[in-house]
Amino acid sequence: MGAPVHNLESRLKQSSVKVSANAKRHGRHLLSNSIFRYYFLFSILALCFVLGMVILFIGKTAMLMFGQVSLADFFFSFNWSPEEDAFGAAAFIVNTLSLTALTMVIAVPVSVGMAVLIAEIAPNWLKTFIRPVLDLLVGIPSIVYGYLGLTVLLPFLRDVSGQGLGDGILAAALVLSLMVLPTICRISDDAIVAVPRKYRDAAYALGSTRLQVIMRVVLPAAGRGIISAVILGMTRAVGETMAVVMVIGNTAQLAKTLFTPSSVLTSNIVMQISNVEFDSTWNYALHMMAFLLLVISFVLILIIRILGRKRRDAA
Amino acid sequence: MKVFKKFTVTALTAVLAVTTAFAGIASAASNLSGKITVNGSTALLPLTLQAAKEFQKLHPKVKIAASGKGSVTGPQAVKKGIADIGACDWDASIDVPGFKAFDGQVANKVAVIPFATIVNKNVGVDNLTTDQLKGIFSGKITNWKEVGGSDADIVVITRAFGSGTRVNYQAKALAGGDIVKKEKNYKETGSSGDMKTAVATTPNAIGYIDLVYVSGDVKAVKFNGVEATTDNVINGSYKIWAYGYFMTKGQPTGATKEFIDYVQSKKFQQGSLKKLKFIPIASMK
Repeated sequence: MGAPVHNLESRLKQSSVKVSANAKRHGRHLLSNSIFRYYFLFSILALCFVLGMVILFIGKTAMLMFGQVSLADFFFSFNWSPEEDAFGAAAFIVNTLSLTALTMVIAVPVSVGMAVLIAEIAPNWLKTFIRPVLDLLVGIPSIVYGYLGLTVLLPFLRDVSGQGLGDGILAAALVLSLMVLPTICRISDDAIVAVPRKYRDAAYALGSTRLQVIMRVVLPAAGRGIISAVILGMTRAVGETMAVVMVIGNTAQLAKTLFTPSSVLTSNIVMQISNVEFDSTWNYALHMMAFLLLVISFVLILIIRILGRKRRDAA
Repeated sequence: MKVFKKFTVTALTAVLAVTTAFAGIASAASNLSGKITVNGSTALLPLTLQAAKEFQKLHPKVKIAASGKGSVTGPQAVKKGIADIGACDWDASIDVPGFKAFDGQVANKVAVIPFATIVNKNVGVDNLTTDQLKGIFSGKITNWKEVGGSDADIVVITRAFGSGTRVNYQAKALAGGDIVKKEKNYKETGSSGDMKTAVATTPNAIGYIDLVYVSGDVKAVKFNGVEATTDNVINGSYKIWAYGYFMTKGQPTGATKEFIDYVQSKKFQQGSLKKLKFIPIASMK
């Protein structure tokens, strides 16, 4: 330092300082932008990596099963007695399907009805009350639902049916219905609200009653959204474990009646995984069941995506 | 600079001296060091944790990591080299129903675990014999009136196959008899807690559980006329009990040996272990 300070020079310097400050700021922005870009990219890649590892690990362990158990045995045999080397998972698969179906039969009419009430009929104060309540229901841990099922629902079912135990797919379906109800209801609600007002106005102008407007115009227009909601509810019902395990009876047999103690894919995995040896066919078979669940949710989510795309195209 | 250096050296020396002094006080008893990993039974976990806490006070250089999952994971983890000690509710060095022996492992007895047959409080039966229990759990006896109770269906609650409690109960209470699944009035539970809740809330239910879990909301029934108490286990009249084991790969050595010795020591067995409601191994003849 020690350069002479003239008026002109200093002014020049000042302006150049300004320019360089601007350039600096610009450079900083570029830098922070690129840092964040890499950070976001890294986050996504990390997630994909973990997901990939999960699928790879479960799939790899699952495939080991086919060295010892044939494909036909696993999918079509109803005899699950790992202690006698019988690994037929058909009962669990059928039970999972029937439990999900029963849950949907109970939950869908109720939750879509509620969605219609909230979106179309209810006064504003009720809407602002019900929506947060439903959101709250989604956040309750599943073990709480399971415990309520065990201590409140089962004694009630015993009284009503005269059964000694009450455990079975009916109890599980009732608990699951309560759990998927808010999910289906809130998403259907959004789909119904998204139906353009002009549809309703046109229908009313043609002389429709309110019921006709809802049943013939609003619900069909919101149909794809409601189906997405139902499928999302299904993914939750298929994958739910803790609540189901407490009320289904956990016995490896086909649910021939509503009150037969039985087991589904998820509940069987959670019941047995801690009691098996690592390098056993039994462990591989449980991993195969987990892999099967992964595939089922993947298919369901794929259907939602396709429906969503179609809906956007139609709009 | 020189001053600074001098200061650093002094400070470091001081810190070192203090540390050594503290370490000296703490490890006055031993210079034992190492890392012990314990894996396996949840039933034995409270005991392992308590022992680890006390052992680390005596030997601060030893690190103990304990976790519980299921009985069979204990010997498995030892076999795979993941754990030094596998806590197991049965002797995994010999065959038991459903599980083959783990070759080359040594079973170290650490505690006595009593089990009890429990029923819902509405059940009028107070005593069951081995044959009656065999009949009930194999599905041949389905009504309480067949064993001296009122006319009501028996609801069987059992643990999942592979549970340590189930292995021991089948061996001791059912004399090796089977537990057979039924189309109704039969349920499997995943843990001792679930078992207790299920029996407590289901009328006419029967199940089995570690004696320490028995409390006011379920009823423990007599086995062949003998009440399920720790005293009766010790005097030999109550037969449904089993040893809890620490499985090791070969004879234990080093810190692992010291730890097992500590758990088996009179001080721990008669003190903390008794407080946790296990029975000391020395009490059994």
